[in-house]
Amino acid sequence: MYKKFLSLTKNLTVSLEKGLNFLTTQENNPLYFHGALPLYTFWFLIFSGIMLWMYYIPTLDRAWTSVNYITSLPVLLKDASGQLLLKNGNPVVSAISPATGIPYGAVVRGIHRWGAAAMMITTLLHMLRVYFTDRHRAWRWLPWVSGVLLLMFMLFVGITGYLLVWDARAYSLVVSTQRWLEAVPLVGQGLSTFFIGGDAIRDFTLTRFFFFHIGGAVFIFWLIWMHFIRLHEPVVTPSRAVNFLTLGFILVAAGVYPAVNVTNDLIAQYPVLAGDKGFIASDAPAQIGHLVDVIRYDAWYLFPYYLIEKLGVNWAWIILGGATILLLVAPFYPKDRRDNIAEVIDAKCTGCTFCSLDCPFEAITMQERAPGSKFKLIAVVFAPRCSECGICVGACPFQAIELPNTHSKTIEADVLALLKTGVQ
Amino acid sequence: MSEIQSSVPSEKKKRVIVGFVCERSIPIIEMLDAHKALTDDPETKIIILPCSGMVKPTQMELALANGADATFVCGCAMNDCHYRTGNIMIRERLEGQRNPKLRKSTDKRKVGMFFFTMKDKRPFLDALAQFKASTENL
Repeated sequence: MYKKFLSLTKNLTVSLEKGLNFLTTQENNPLYFHGALPLYTFWFLIFSGIMLWMYYIPTLDRAWTSVNYITSLPVLLKDASGQLLLKNGNPVVSAISPATGIPYGAVVRGIHRWGAAAMMITTLLHMLRVYFTDRHRAWRWLPWVSGVLLLMFMLFVGITGYLLVWDARAYSLVVSTQRWLEAVPLVGQGLSTFFIGGDAIRDFTLTRFFFFHIGGAVFIFWLIWMHFIRLHEPVVTPSRAVNFLTLGFILVAAGVYPAVNVTNDLIAQYPVLAGDKGFIASDAPAQIGHLVDVIRYDAWYLFPYYLIEKLGVNWAWIILGGATILLLVAPFYPKDRRDNIAEVIDAKCTGCTFCSLDCPFEAITMQERAPGSKFKLIAVVFAPRCSECGICVGACPFQAIELPNTHSKTIEADVLALLKTGVQ
Repeated sequence: MSEIQSSVPSEKKKRVIVGFVCERSIPIIEMLDAHKALTDDPETKIIILPCSGMVKPTQMELALANGADATFVCGCAMNDCHYRTGNIMIRERLEGQRNPKLRKSTDKRKVGMFFFTMKDKRPFLDALAQFKASTENL
């Protein structure tokens, strides 16, 4: 039943991709680079994040101001005298005044914001695609499980990013997170204290969030290493056409919708900005004890808070925890019969390493033979990692590695038999 | 009369093509008859393998040496091998970029390679017909 479901999802996925192949060709189908795209978008976040880091100040009274300083330039056009233009050529803010912001800072923050959305979208696409095509089970368990952990850490890093701006929404999110953590039996209070770095929100709280954000991003790199460790030559970059398509999407999104803080204060100062209120990237500065009436939810990163608000902390734990457990056990069910695992014929193995170099799942290692042997090395198959694909068999010029149920001799006998019978 | 008979072309000689097909690429099981030939093209005999990357160039040479008029391998769509790299491996082997390679003496015009999804039955048959036509006078 479950396998039939996976077969159906694979059919649907391949049908969809076939349509896209018609438009893009196999070589440039973005869905064939679903694994490389999240990593590619991650680089945008790293570089834009480093640029934002240069101006960010993680203290309660300076965090919002520093983010606002980076992004308060609402338009990027300049007139002949170097004045920035907004609408109808009206000069709004001086580009060189340090009081008004960093030129293109809103675009850099926009790249960070849209890059984060792109990373989550491509990650979910990658996950669904892998699941729907049944490429998550058995020998692929480590990439899948590390992928689930990557998804969780992406959420964690994304959420802490929303806290760093320290606006009214950030404060409400912190209060929700504390409620959510405190619902954990026995250790809940401790988790909550750890989360804000003490028994109350202080400057240390933002320093801690900053550590969570940057430290989490570093940990993502470690998880990516875990994700790749069982994959031979993982695809880490999409094709050039897909690269430019993604680059274009993020840059155009950041250029057209930069992360601008068109706050009420700014509108009061420059009424011409009133029509741009939709560009608000942050709410007003946070005030301890003042929760926002309506939280502006980001669909990709803040959905856990939507669950907390609508269903309460306990149901949020049950839904998010249950979903995580289901994802973590997915690669272990159903179990396939594994009776065609590659076997090395010791007497024929010359230690040439071809099979080891070509194995897509790092299932073959080269080990030293006993002293005095004719050849120095011998291939050794680590059975739990073997996918039974036979690529190692195709790589071996000496018939020294075989799939027991699909032996090369049998294939060659079949070829000769087909030729003997001729055309019927 | 005998002159007239000699000017009538004799029945087209039947050829044999041997294909090595990945079981996860085109829907090969439903395309075969009882003699392991394609129902749409009885001249094409098929060996089914778990992955196109399992094909040894020597097996394709064996087919050519024993009477096959041409031989080909068919794997998953490029960049979408179920086992990640099988189609890339066989392509590089047949193109001479990865070991083991085809012998230099092998007529590479008689060696084809196709990469299609399980939904590409018709495009595969079209590509096969084109390949067969290209090898007809070799």
